[in-house]
Amino acid sequence: MNALPRCLVAIALSSSVAFSVAAQEDAPNEPPAEETAAFETLTEDYSCMFCHGKTGTLSGTEKNQHLIVTKEDLVVDIHWQKGLRCHDCHGGSPALDDFTDHRNDPSFRSLASPQDIPVFCGHCHSNAQYMSRFRPSPRVDQESEYWTSGHGKRLQQTGDVKVATCVSCHGGHNIRAVDDLESLVYPTQVAKTCATCHSDAELMEGREYHGRSFGHQQFELWSKSVHAHAMMEKGDLSAATCNDCHGNHGAVPQDVDSLANACGTCHVKVAKLFATTKMKHQFEKTDLPGCATCHGNHKIHSPTDEMLGMAGGAVCARCHEQGKHGATLAGAEIAKQMHDELAQLVTQISSVGEKLDRAERLGMEIRGPRFRLRDANDALTNARTLVHSFAIEPVQQAVTEGLTVTSEVNSDAEAALQEHTMRRIWLGFSLVPIIAVVTLLLLYIRSMPSTK
Amino acid sequence: MSRAPEKPNDSPATRPGLRDFFYDRMGMSVAAGLAAKKKVPIHRSTPFYFLGGMALFLFVIQIVSGVLLSLYYKPSPDQAFESVQAFMTEVDFGWLIRSVHSWAANLLIGILFLHLLTAYMMRAYRRPRELTWATGILLLALFMAFGFSGYLLPWNQLAFFATRVGTALVGVLPVVGQDLLLLARGGENVTGDTLSRFYALHVAILPLLTLAMLGFHLFLVQHHGMSVPDREALRLGGSERLPTMPFVPDFLLRDAVGWYLVLGILAALAALFPWELGEKAAPFSSAPEGIKPEWYFLFMFQALKQLPGHILGIEGELLGVLFFGCAGLVIFLIPVLDRGQISRLVLNILAALAVVFFIVMTAWGYFDKGSLRLILGASLFLGVLSLAISFSDRGTLVRRILWMLTALATLLLIIGISQELYQ
Repeated sequence: MNALPRCLVAIALSSSVAFSVAAQEDAPNEPPAEETAAFETLTEDYSCMFCHGKTGTLSGTEKNQHLIVTKEDLVVDIHWQKGLRCHDCHGGSPALDDFTDHRNDPSFRSLASPQDIPVFCGHCHSNAQYMSRFRPSPRVDQESEYWTSGHGKRLQQTGDVKVATCVSCHGGHNIRAVDDLESLVYPTQVAKTCATCHSDAELMEGREYHGRSFGHQQFELWSKSVHAHAMMEKGDLSAATCNDCHGNHGAVPQDVDSLANACGTCHVKVAKLFATTKMKHQFEKTDLPGCATCHGNHKIHSPTDEMLGMAGGAVCARCHEQGKHGATLAGAEIAKQMHDELAQLVTQISSVGEKLDRAERLGMEIRGPRFRLRDANDALTNARTLVHSFAIEPVQQAVTEGLTVTSEVNSDAEAALQEHTMRRIWLGFSLVPIIAVVTLLLLYIRSMPSTK
Repeated sequence: MSRAPEKPNDSPATRPGLRDFFYDRMGMSVAAGLAAKKKVPIHRSTPFYFLGGMALFLFVIQIVSGVLLSLYYKPSPDQAFESVQAFMTEVDFGWLIRSVHSWAANLLIGILFLHLLTAYMMRAYRRPRELTWATGILLLALFMAFGFSGYLLPWNQLAFFATRVGTALVGVLPVVGQDLLLLARGGENVTGDTLSRFYALHVAILPLLTLAMLGFHLFLVQHHGMSVPDREALRLGGSERLPTMPFVPDFLLRDAVGWYLVLGILAALAALFPWELGEKAAPFSSAPEGIKPEWYFLFMFQALKQLPGHILGIEGELLGVLFFGCAGLVIFLIPVLDRGQISRLVLNILAALAVVFFIVMTAWGYFDKGSLRLILGASLFLGVLSLAISFSDRGTLVRRILWMLTALATLLLIIGISQELYQ
């Protein structure tokens, strides 16, 4: 290209960028002032935005929509905020004097296919020395983990470009920091992000893992679970969402033998108890998926004592009633006993609690006993956990501890109620002499000679 | 140098016995002389003289129960709540002593309000009793300060936030507001320093001031004698023509009846409705719902809540505080302001409006529910109206208006109770 046409092209592109900036300034969805202030304007010789900064400059605009990068994207992008610019990721030279078709630039890092994305991101994110510029102990295993994931394996082995890559979960040019409330991978957003694909019936159709169909209702089911309730309604960010059980960069569906380990990440004590039981081996032998056998997987409800035992609605009855999967009648008996033990402690705690409430309503000071009643509740929680040992003795021991506490608190509550009764009696006794003195005084006054 | 001659009949040798030993050495003869000389006039409003005695009796109870509480109380944010809790649960009759202290404080303020109202109705502030009135008003202010400072001492949640709101009001005063706020709180916020200050105020500064003021008040009462309502004096053709009774023993015995009645009421309240301790103050938590001060500050609190942010460019809260300050000053200066028929009429109208304002605001602030507000408001009105009726003459227009208002208050009370029962 000789000098004149190059100048004309440069002038035309500069004008279009200027118009584009002006149009964006007039746009109603202008980013907030503080974000705009944070956005560092590119120098005039930064050529990438000439084409990628607005629509209409790239051929086949609909198809190339993903190539357009807006100011709104960049101001929230963690890379941009850390000072990285287009060429830091994409390579090439953004200098205006070197304006050429960047695809011909040997230093330009091409992203011809989604398959290139993990390596593209891993270029920096797998480089410990480079990443330590931003964080002293950076994670650099994301890419290697990704290739072990269901997504990564499928991409690598089948070339299925519809599987999730880095940008599917983190975004393209608007990658927010993971602790940003609006980040696609912030704990409260993770399930919705995964659901983008996993709730898409059309996309999920025919996909399977180890011969099991994926389905597309995981998000809907999880939304009704105790974990979703804790996360979305109580704001408990430690509650389990997709990546807590399946992993994030190395996401895979849980296998039967690894499910208890997934649950045990949070439910440590239960997992430890379960790991040492015969039940675990029996589950594995009969291909039952550990915790999920009784509690379900995505739609996990808050467990109740009614799940235990052999009555209607009890999960133990599903196998032990009909001897399925090698379940025994002795096991059914233990389940019943455990249920009765728990019910006994629950009844006692409730009964003592009501007495304390009554004493409190009567104005008695019962803060101490009420505090001690927490120990009984702790014992109940412990007993409920020990149910996962599938042995009656530990449960009985925990329940006995709880009952000892309820017995002591019950004595305190009854003493408080008794004291209230005694106060009324003593009040009566004290009012008698007061009234007697008043009466005598009045009689005496009456008997006094009249005054002048 | 000559020696003063000894009194011939004052030596213990001539008056044997322990009683006489003290009689002679403590100048009891002077007290006996004063007691013998003191007469109490008898008229329709004589029972209202008992209110002062009842207040005095409750003050003695406050001193005794307060001293017992102070044996266990620890004035620090870490220990205050726990020490009161331990006193109530672990010390024998601790619950009773704390409950008596709290209930007696409230009864005392209530009786002082009635004492003030009846003294106004009897026009007991007339010459030469202006100072008796002024010391009485100052005593009421001191006892309210007792209540305000004592409210914080258990360091519970409601008291903490109510104190924060209450002390913040001082800060709105122009020029000296911020300095006074720092002085009251011992810093920018309500902290352990505030607790220490309130404790010192409650157990040292206020008692000393109160004892001095009370001594002066009682001296003035003794010096000037009981005030006779001019209406009663006119009716009998002069106060000297009113029948009287000796203070000792006639009036004192009647006073004792009042004290015993107060004691009975106090015992019943303390035993049946023990004073709650609430939750320990958590300064960094958000303010709990329904924070309110003690009932005797509630009318101010409720009124200030209704004021807009700014009135004519001036901060609404500042105007409210200044308004109540002026109202207090007017009450203090009533002996000076009452200069004739017209000024008396204006004062009476203002007093009636003040009572209505107090009752309406208190009932409004005390309950959230309309029917309960109606019941409380109507009951308080009935109490005040029955008081006012006793001061009005039969057959007069005022008496008829008061009866009509009584009928109206009774109707409102019935409506309130009906609403409460059928809801």
